[in-house]
Amino acid sequence: MENAIFLGLSVQAWYLIAVTIGMFYTLTRTHVPAEVAFLGVVTLYLAGGLVNVHDVVSGLGSEAVVVSGAFFIMQASLNLTGVSYWLSQHWLGSPKSYRQAIVKLMTPVALLSAMMGGENVVSMFTDTVKQWARKLGISHAKLLIPLSYAATFGGMCTLLGQSSNLVIAGLYAEQTGTSLNLLAPLVPGVVCTVVGMLMMLLQQRFLPEREAPELSFEDISDYTVELLVPTDNPAVMMKVADTGLKNVRGGSLIEIVRFDKEVISPVDDDEFIFGGDRLIYSGQINELLKLKQTHGLVAADHHIYSINEIDSNRKLRTAYVNFGSDLIGTSMSHNKFEKRNDMTLVAVARQGKRVDEQPREVKLEAGDTLLLECPQKADRDLQTTLKRTLTFFDSQYVPQLGPRTIWTSVVLVAIFVLSSFNVLPLLTVTMLAAGALIMMRCCRMDSITKYIDWNYLLLLGSLVVFSIAITKTGIMTPVADWVLRVCKENPYIIIIVMSIMASLVSEVFSNIAAGAVFFPLVYQQAMILGCNPLPFVIALMTSVTISYCTPIGSTTIMQIYGPGGFKFTDFWRIGIWMHLALLLVNLITIFIVFPMY
Amino acid sequence: MTTEIREENNSLIAVFKGRLDTAAAVQTTKDVEPLMNAEGKDVVLDCTELEYISSSGLRIFISILKSVKAQGGKVNVKNINDEIRKVFLMTGFDKLFTIQ
Repeated sequence: MENAIFLGLSVQAWYLIAVTIGMFYTLTRTHVPAEVAFLGVVTLYLAGGLVNVHDVVSGLGSEAVVVSGAFFIMQASLNLTGVSYWLSQHWLGSPKSYRQAIVKLMTPVALLSAMMGGENVVSMFTDTVKQWARKLGISHAKLLIPLSYAATFGGMCTLLGQSSNLVIAGLYAEQTGTSLNLLAPLVPGVVCTVVGMLMMLLQQRFLPEREAPELSFEDISDYTVELLVPTDNPAVMMKVADTGLKNVRGGSLIEIVRFDKEVISPVDDDEFIFGGDRLIYSGQINELLKLKQTHGLVAADHHIYSINEIDSNRKLRTAYVNFGSDLIGTSMSHNKFEKRNDMTLVAVARQGKRVDEQPREVKLEAGDTLLLECPQKADRDLQTTLKRTLTFFDSQYVPQLGPRTIWTSVVLVAIFVLSSFNVLPLLTVTMLAAGALIMMRCCRMDSITKYIDWNYLLLLGSLVVFSIAITKTGIMTPVADWVLRVCKENPYIIIIVMSIMASLVSEVFSNIAAGAVFFPLVYQQAMILGCNPLPFVIALMTSVTISYCTPIGSTTIMQIYGPGGFKFTDFWRIGIWMHLALLLVNLITIFIVFPMY
Repeated sequence: MTTEIREENNSLIAVFKGRLDTAAAVQTTKDVEPLMNAEGKDVVLDCTELEYISSSGLRIFISILKSVKAQGGKVNVKNINDEIRKVFLMTGFDKLFTIQ
């Protein structure tokens, strides 16, 4: 049965196609996290005999997974000891023009991204760049896009710069038994970085101007705020007109939502106020929030009998909804987020504008800015717990600089020296570095498991197994044969075609997934043609990173999408030229640098 | 939903049966009109067979209260079930009405 062929493919290949389609359907139509979907797929592959136990164990424990795990410890140390903070605060300076500001920002960001990973650099620079933009009088959006793109350029230069690089390097090691050097993609990466920066300077006038979304809560005069009437409020049982709650300073009452969800809109002067009413105001947010002090209203997700039940020390914080957040597609009144995290949603902004609905009924989207009332304490705990769901704008953590800051920097440099000169394999170096940082107390020994993003590692491991299954079923063989035929078995044309396809796929899916799917195909083509697999693999590695047109394909664009208040289409105009130019110079460089035979 | 009004010992008694939801509130508002002209008599709202009350129903209760009080009478609410008691506690109605 296993050897039966149907429409040119084995039964196992068809099984793989069916399971994979089911997974993509699940990912697009449900809120099942990606790592769970991929793990489910791995389980079905295992059950269907597409992979064996050894494949699964070696995939989940592959070099990409272990190196990424150790790298999380290094990232935590860089943040905790203040290396990240110091770099982001001291490297920008005071440029004289916008052009100079772009160069001053992109150069260190690209360099650091090569060493620390683009995602880590974007997360540490985002707030600083926004403050810097305000100081320079430049729209923050005009600097956030160069920040994101520079991180991607720099990330192309080393294996540690992009997660997709590690995955592809891991798959290469799996196939050949040889680990790639940390600096394997350095030359095409550097060329792309230089060309990318020049392109950014040429296209600077196409960069969009956007309002900072967190400032929209201060600036916009037409906002929707939801406040609850506690049972003991003096206004209970009074007519709206007599309570002074209808036309208030800075806005007006547009809706009352009763305990039984009855909506009263417009609100007549004769309407009574009941305890438990949710009053929906439109107007200037700061003024409306003063109603909490002046009229005893509260922000709450559940009924409040007395205003004394509310902790007066709670504070307002702004955060944006991350891509892939489990809040997307849900409303606060229907999910359990507020209760679980002791927070209350007060207002929602979408691309800096009012959402014309009761805030807690708004179906949330990626990039929405939320104004939340949060507990006073546990700032960092909240940020750590919710890092996949929300990102807070106002991170108040300022690390203490000291000797450990220097130790961490030394360890980071040592990794590069040892790995680049092939003194030790990358896996050994990163594990030694993580161990050294723990021993030097650059991160807390009892919190190591918290620093590691286990969901991410699970996703990486599952993707490696996914790629192994594609290789073993031979599903890519007909595709590889077809590409070889069409390209007349010319390795240069094949690399060009595969790079274009991989970079297009990575615009709409993640670059890691694109790398995992395309690796078996390009490796097989290199083997069939008897070529050196390195130009094929490095071209794939750099091509999947070349995705600048949509926020979906690039993690670093996703990271600035919410804080920048961008529109989905903002990246298209500048990204398409960047995509074409980098693809071209990348391929030319690879053809020059890497011998084909 | 039905509403019956009768007079006993110089008091008006309104007997509610069924679910006083938003749909039933329009008819109930008409049915309780005699209570709005109680002319100083006390009013008893008998909720023994009232299964549910919505915010529209509470609005009727408060209108009765305001009207009866303005004419010098009192309003008592009788025999509310646990669900309705919860609603009264939440909305603050328990402090306005005498609940028997």
